[in-house]
Amino acid sequence: MESYLLAAVSLATLTFAYTCYGGVLFSTLPQTLAVSASPTDGQVLKAGEDNITITWGLNQSFPDGTDSSYNKVKLLLCYGPTSQEDRGWRKTVDNLSKDKTCQLTIAHRTYMRNTQNITWMIERDVPTAVYFVRAYAYNSSGNEVAYGQTTDAKKSRNLFKVQAISGRHSSLDIASVCFSAFALLSVVGFMVLEKRGRSSAEN
Amino acid sequence: MEISQGGDDSHQKKFALPVDSEHKATEFRLFSVAAPHMRAFHLSWISFFACFVSTFAAPPLLPIIRDNLDLTATDIGNAGIAAVSGAVFARIAMGTACDLFGPRLASAALTLLTTPAVYCTSIANSAVSFLLVRFFTGFSLATFVSTQFWMSSMFSARVVGTANGVAGGWGNLGGGATQLIMPLVFDLIQHIGATKFTAWRIAFFIPALFQTLSAYGIFFLGQDLPDGNYSQLHKSGDKHKDNFAQVFYHAITNYRGWILALTYGYCFGVELTIDNIIVQYFYDRFNVNLHTAGIIAASFGLANLFSRPGGGMLSDLMAKKFGMRGRLWTLWIVQTLGGVFCILLGKVGSLGVSVAVMLIFSVFVQAACGLTFGVVPFVSRRSLGIISGMTGGGGNVGAVLTQVIFFRGSRYSTETGLTLMGVMIICCTLVITLIYFPQWGGMFCGPASKGTTEEDYYMSEWNSAEKEQGFHNASLKFSENSRNERGKRIGSAPTPNNRTPDTYV
Repeated sequence: MESYLLAAVSLATLTFAYTCYGGVLFSTLPQTLAVSASPTDGQVLKAGEDNITITWGLNQSFPDGTDSSYNKVKLLLCYGPTSQEDRGWRKTVDNLSKDKTCQLTIAHRTYMRNTQNITWMIERDVPTAVYFVRAYAYNSSGNEVAYGQTTDAKKSRNLFKVQAISGRHSSLDIASVCFSAFALLSVVGFMVLEKRGRSSAEN
Repeated sequence: MEISQGGDDSHQKKFALPVDSEHKATEFRLFSVAAPHMRAFHLSWISFFACFVSTFAAPPLLPIIRDNLDLTATDIGNAGIAAVSGAVFARIAMGTACDLFGPRLASAALTLLTTPAVYCTSIANSAVSFLLVRFFTGFSLATFVSTQFWMSSMFSARVVGTANGVAGGWGNLGGGATQLIMPLVFDLIQHIGATKFTAWRIAFFIPALFQTLSAYGIFFLGQDLPDGNYSQLHKSGDKHKDNFAQVFYHAITNYRGWILALTYGYCFGVELTIDNIIVQYFYDRFNVNLHTAGIIAASFGLANLFSRPGGGMLSDLMAKKFGMRGRLWTLWIVQTLGGVFCILLGKVGSLGVSVAVMLIFSVFVQAACGLTFGVVPFVSRRSLGIISGMTGGGGNVGAVLTQVIFFRGSRYSTETGLTLMGVMIICCTLVITLIYFPQWGGMFCGPASKGTTEEDYYMSEWNSAEKEQGFHNASLKFSENSRNERGKRIGSAPTPNNRTPDTYV
């Protein structure tokens, strides 16, 4: 039993050691991309109905050649701080391989020198939350090398809200109520049948 | 078909299984569905299984539900607590309901009365409505008591332990099966074309319909007693109705019942807690997809197939050699080891080792449940129903406590919560050392030197007026039968009344 424990614990520590070495740290990334999105601060958009237009490109205040290693760009919808509160599954962590701030991908494009834009319809399974948009630039080995986002470093400005679909349909509502009523009526039916059984046995 | 034994020629009834003088089956044939005994067994474990599936149908789909209803970790924790807290008092009340109406009507009615909560989970649209549906669905776990009551009515003392252990274990299996079933059903419905936020709602109709059907099965195919239903049977004089106040008094004044209620909270309660949190744990910590998290989580509950019945059988095995002291020692050792593996589970950081540790943990924790109910039948004979209900209710209290302290909100990460829960299991299990039977001893002490017998212990529950009327005869028979709890090493010759045994361990 003890050797089992020892083996398990040593395996565990080895794997801990391994995971520490993976993943780029967000704090090391330069903010060289300029990203802007169409929603204004505090605007409420509907999932499945409204669009967002996003514009991104290299921030011109950086010298030419900054973007020489940039290969691909990914645009992500990221959770604002109020939507991360008390929700450990959306936690911000510096190690990007463990970071859960940005879980929804808007687009994945090849990096181009000139400014690009995209109009994206908010998908129907986007949850109700407060969001901002972030872009990561990747090098040819697939690691993050730079980023840009629509909000400030504290994530307090320029956040917009998405109102999700409820997922409910009137047919579901009716079915739920009908089946529930049927179940309750069945209990009453059982009581009546039992009473009839008892009185006929007594007669 | 065999004719009933017991020499009662006027009874022409034929039963498929051999029966004793009360027409309770003396054999347990797992693969038979013969009425009334084995049919009652299959109906009761299937409906208990269905109730478990419904109560724990939400956790495997929480990664979807929490986005749809915008739930916080606190909301999720509260709903998980609500799901197991309803049954605390419902389990105690169910014992009385079985006495009054019979287990068939009581369990069919409760199962049906809780199905609207499952149907209405499909229309939940906020944290509050989610909590309410989980709360009312959780009441269905009181069918544990009707299952055990029904088995005790149908099976004789020799096989009732096995019947109870298998029925309880296979019902608990529902907590594991649901972690597999719900993600699969959800996937299927999504493939047919529904969006995520609609698919999970439709998925809840499956456990709800299953539960409804099982209730119908019990009502139309089941039977309270081997000879018929409560409403049909003419109650003769020899089944007297006991005084509820006396039964209740003897249950609550027996400290052993309270100790077992506490310790059951740290095996069964822990099992319920894990059912609630394990999918989210694997999904969030190891980044596996919902399907995989469901399979891993399911294997925890599926171990119930053999581990809980195994615990019951281990208890009986230990009792053969070492008597009640063997049962107590085994319970303490197995449950403490469960705590050790729980600590380890929180510490392990890789997926493969985590799954392995979880499986070992599940076997120990579920065996401890089976071992607990190896001791419960001996705590009291007169108040067995209420003691069983108290222990069962204590299990749910443990689930409420562990979730409130460790798995609500964001105070502890889930892995820290698991480790701390393991420490709490070890600490709370220590109270088993306080259980002492004067006729058999406890963990550290032998039986009382003044030679208390089983009769002394069980007769203390009846006063002289009741003894005069002969109400205590069933307890007297039980006292004789329980003499094998002395174990082999302690005097094998039958002890005459009030004489000290010469040796004791």
